[in-house]
Amino acid sequence: MKVRFESLSLATMVIPEGRLDYGAAAGFQAQVEQLLAGGGTKPAGVIIDCAGLDYVSSAGLRVFLLAARASQRAGLSFAVCALKPAVREVFDLSGFSRIIAVYADRAAALADTPLGSA
Amino acid sequence: MKRHTSVPSDAAQLCILTRFLQEFWWAADLPPAETVTFELALEEIFMNVVMHGSPAGQAPRIDVSLALCDGCLTLMIEDDGPSFDPLSLAAPDVTASLEERRVGGLGVYLVRQMMDAVSYQRLGGRNQLSMTKRVREPIP
Repeated sequence: MKVRFESLSLATMVIPEGRLDYGAAAGFQAQVEQLLAGGGTKPAGVIIDCAGLDYVSSAGLRVFLLAARASQRAGLSFAVCALKPAVREVFDLSGFSRIIAVYADRAAALADTPLGSA
Repeated sequence: MKRHTSVPSDAAQLCILTRFLQEFWWAADLPPAETVTFELALEEIFMNVVMHGSPAGQAPRIDVSLALCDGCLTLMIEDDGPSFDPLSLAAPDVTASLEERRVGGLGVYLVRQMMDAVSYQRLGGRNQLSMTKRVREPIP
């Protein structure tokens, strides 16, 4: 799995591409933790853009859960967007769609990101 | 159509098993949308055996088989580790809040939700977990 980051004024976009399975979860978690721990100017929020994410298992869900919690503690908004149907199904069945903000696309997620709590 | 493979109980084997499943999918010309259910079941159950099924110094072997019959696909995962019924795990509370939420047990829960039928048996010193789902309409 590849992960890209894009810093926008409101939020940092995290863009994973490929399969978030057991083998990819630890690396992805380390990258997200590094982002959340990173000093300096923090954005108001973190948005994980899942448009390129084909697959997520419970090992991958765990990373989303930990990232959402860490963001909440750090006072950052946290959202996911553009879930493909296979990923959406796993989010819905696991109840994660109720505890993590899910948006149809990046524009909708950004529109709902609160301004300047950094 | 039937296929079988056998691997050591080692997390590094997951990508080999996933490829085994994908090759079956292409060979049987099954609808791509359904593949995720079986990829997820394979990963969740295989990793369960890898993480919970090995006494120190012993690496059980894990057998994986796929059988397609009348549009229903059955994934069977067997191991010779200690007796363990993953279906006996308590279902996670999927309504818990973000702070209270736990991930333990979620994998097996997802498999039970996504498959049409899941059954466990201990037979001849082996754990056998069988998972079935209709992947194609029956041919009239």
